Amino acid sequence: MASLAQQIGGLRCPSLSTHLSRKPSYTNNINHTVKRTQTTKAAAVVSNAQTRERMKLKEMFEEAYERCRTAPYEGVAFTVDDFHNAIERFDYNSELGSKVRGTVFNVDANGAYVDITAKSSAFLPVREACIHGIKHVQEAGIVPGMRDEYVIIGENEHDDSLILSLRQIQYDLAWERCRQLQAEDVVLKGKVVGANKGGVVAIVEGLRGFIPFSQISSNSSAEELLEQEIPLKFVEVDEEQSRLILSNRKARADSQAQLGIGSVVTGIVQSLKPYGAFIDIGGVNGLLHVSQISHDRVSDIATVLQPGDTLKVMVLSHDRERGRVSLSTKKLEPTPGDMIRNPKLVFEKAEEMAMTFRQRIAQAEAMARADMLRFSPESELSLNSEGILGPLGSDLPPDGLDLNETSLPEDSS
Amino acid sequence: MTRRYWNINLEEMMEAGVHFGHGTRKWNPKMAPYISAKRKGIHITNLTRTARFLSEACDLVFDAASRGKQFLIVGTKNKEADSVAWAAIRARCHYVNKKWLGGMLTNWSTTETRLHKFRDLRTEQKTGGLNRLPKRDAAMLKRQLSHLQIYLGGIKYMTGLPDIVIIVDQHEEYTALQECITLGIPTICLIDTNCDPDLADISIPANDDAISSIRLILNKLVIAICEGRSGYIRNP
Repeated sequence: MASLAQQIGGLRCPSLSTHLSRKPSYTNNINHTVKRTQTTKAAAVVSNAQTRERMKLKEMFEEAYERCRTAPYEGVAFTVDDFHNAIERFDYNSELGSKVRGTVFNVDANGAYVDITAKSSAFLPVREACIHGIKHVQEAGIVPGMRDEYVIIGENEHDDSLILSLRQIQYDLAWERCRQLQAEDVVLKGKVVGANKGGVVAIVEGLRGFIPFSQISSNSSAEELLEQEIPLKFVEVDEEQSRLILSNRKARADSQAQLGIGSVVTGIVQSLKPYGAFIDIGGVNGLLHVSQISHDRVSDIATVLQPGDTLKVMVLSHDRERGRVSLSTKKLEPTPGDMIRNPKLVFEKAEEMAMTFRQRIAQAEAMARADMLRFSPESELSLNSEGILGPLGSDLPPDGLDLNETSLPEDSS
Repeated sequence: MTRRYWNINLEEMMEAGVHFGHGTRKWNPKMAPYISAKRKGIHITNLTRTARFLSEACDLVFDAASRGKQFLIVGTKNKEADSVAWAAIRARCHYVNKKWLGGMLTNWSTTETRLHKFRDLRTEQKTGGLNRLPKRDAAMLKRQLSHLQIYLGGIKYMTGLPDIVIIVDQHEEYTALQECITLGIPTICLIDTNCDPDLADISIPANDDAISSIRLILNKLVIAICEGRSGYIRNP
């Protein structure tokens, strides 16, 4: 047996030596005989049942291969034409910036592997998985088996895999949400993460927004505001220029909507300026102009008010658009000049004065409306029982108006 | 040899992206008979030939399994490592999914020594022998055990050379392929447009980059192995 093998080996030797120096020819026959001689040589060395089995198996394989080559379409369920027609349908695009759907099949420390039905698998680095900074893709909720849309941002030259990103899509969504929220004028909470020369930076919907100092209405400085959540409203949302400006003052102003005009509130003096003082009432800063402090002329504000003083002020007007409130203590003085001389008296009498003030305002308004009616009776407006102008004849009580019971307007001084 | 019907249909294969090849510049001219078109700078393999080869491969594997032969699946790219392990465990064959150590088959005696050591370490760990050693020795042995588990974990039940080897990416596993050729072990190989179809015995032209295409082909082969094995178990 061994000698026979050696003989065969010997016979084939010449072709073996020429194998190395032969010209490259693509006939498979030579390859196969070369392979078989190699195995025959191996068989010559270790000729036992195992190698014989292997030889038989190898022969089977080669027969199968021959069959494949000679009858290439036998037993195949579809034809070449079907294949060509179907190529169009299953095309894939790998341009930068195009969106693809894929399934995550493996998660690694550096990112996630995504299977998009294309030439090769794609990779989603951990930095591109989410807008916020995360260390592992699992924190963003990416687990194997998840199906999602990604955008292609690059191609890995080495192994032809694509690099994906979720960030772009998330950014687009975040900007869209901000625009909608701005249209609806909603108040959100944002966390302050940094400060710079002009204001602070807060994160809202995953995007970084800027709040100028002028728009912050709380007392604390920038350092104290760090890592805190404050209510914010949108001032400007511009995606092309990447500008997102927020305002705390506007948000607070809205929440203070119940501040009616003419109401008296307690406030603490925040800061003094040459033209007046800023008083913090319930979170919103209102301006108490120097002319509104007292009837008498106030030469130096520092003599009357000091930062940290508590005092009662009356709300003159409330500009919700810009979040500004105008205050006054002049109206609250029982006698003019009290503010300077005796602030405590003003403090106590504040409520009374405010009520008187309100009544006076109401009377003045009623007179003004009555005048208007007199001058233009043909417009179908009349005063109903609350003194509000409205259409004729709607407000009378059903059983007739009893003239004795109408209230007479008070005398105005 | 029996010819059976393996459910290889066009839709499935195209959905998995089996027909995509590598870039046009990186091709191997020997693959010319299997390439059908060129689109967007990428070669498209002819799926009819793929289907033919795949069905032949499945038949052969089915036959071999029904005679009780041993298989070995080799796939070391880290993307495919999981699928290779999963497929091999399902078909109850051996697998190599981490680095292919040089001489794993040609230097089988040394590999066998390592496997013995691996087995001994495992029994020792199971019986609690490691707890009786001082801490440093126990730590060293545990490290060795994890090392062996990573590299030889798939072939821990192998007692001799395998009868058929299935290789997933010919470009990557060139050493494995050469070892099989020197030993005369029949191989089934997944070929892409930049590989040599003459090296392996049965070469299946397919896409070796996309994980779904690898999974599809492995699935078909695994089904064939399982069916053959069940026939073998019933009447050995």
